[in-house]
Amino acid sequence: MAKSKAGLLQGTLDMLILKALFPGPLHGYGVGQRIAQISGDELKIEEGSLYPGLYRLEQRGWVQAEWDISDNNQKAKFYKLTRAGRKQLIIEEQNWERLAKATMKALRAT
Amino acid sequence: MSRVKATVDFIHAWQHADEIADEVEAELRFHVQMRTQANIAEGMTPDAAQLAAKQSFGDFDRIKTSCCEIKRSLPFNMKPIKMGLYIAIACLAGGFALVAINLPHDNLLGVLWQLAAIAVLMCAFFVGRRKQ
Repeated sequence: MAKSKAGLLQGTLDMLILKALFPGPLHGYGVGQRIAQISGDELKIEEGSLYPGLYRLEQRGWVQAEWDISDNNQKAKFYKLTRAGRKQLIIEEQNWERLAKATMKALRAT
Repeated sequence: MSRVKATVDFIHAWQHADEIADEVEAELRFHVQMRTQANIAEGMTPDAAQLAAKQSFGDFDRIKTSCCEIKRSLPFNMKPIKMGLYIAIACLAGGFALVAINLPHDNLLGVLWQLAAIAVLMCAFFVGRRKQ
């Protein structure tokens, strides 16, 4: 049976981008690949929608971008987490865990 | 510090809008190119790989526009500033109206004050309408 991929809840994309950038700098394409990898290919993301998310995070000062040379010797824009971005990721993870617990509790209620 | 950089980037984005648009486009094209290469590596023909890459990317122009708009938007909440501006204009209109009422209406100065009060009131009205 084919696996149905879950759509993203609004607001979770930013958290996933922060999470993907946690281990180190990546370009936009790499961020998409990392999200697919860490979610076990379960989350369906329109690849282009990553970019407005990345720009928003850059504007908020949670990620920093700079042009560099990629593995295939092409110019690419790499993003890395700032200190504020690392703090924000912790906050987002805590909020998400609390929300998931509350939702499960509500679903299990009889 | 990052907020300061975001503000500097905002000013830069307004001054060099074309440069920013080119930069965004180069970044998005890089993504489509990478996806195309990955599709070819998975066994697709170059044409099919490029088509699939474009489809999985989504609406290129809409995404580019969206990124450019984010670059040109202020990195902080404008609502309190707009609200303050509206209140200031409304107070100014009230002040002008008060002066106009207390001046004699049969000379040029009185008429000018009345016109100024009407102009500022209209300003407040239009700013209020734009807020809605």
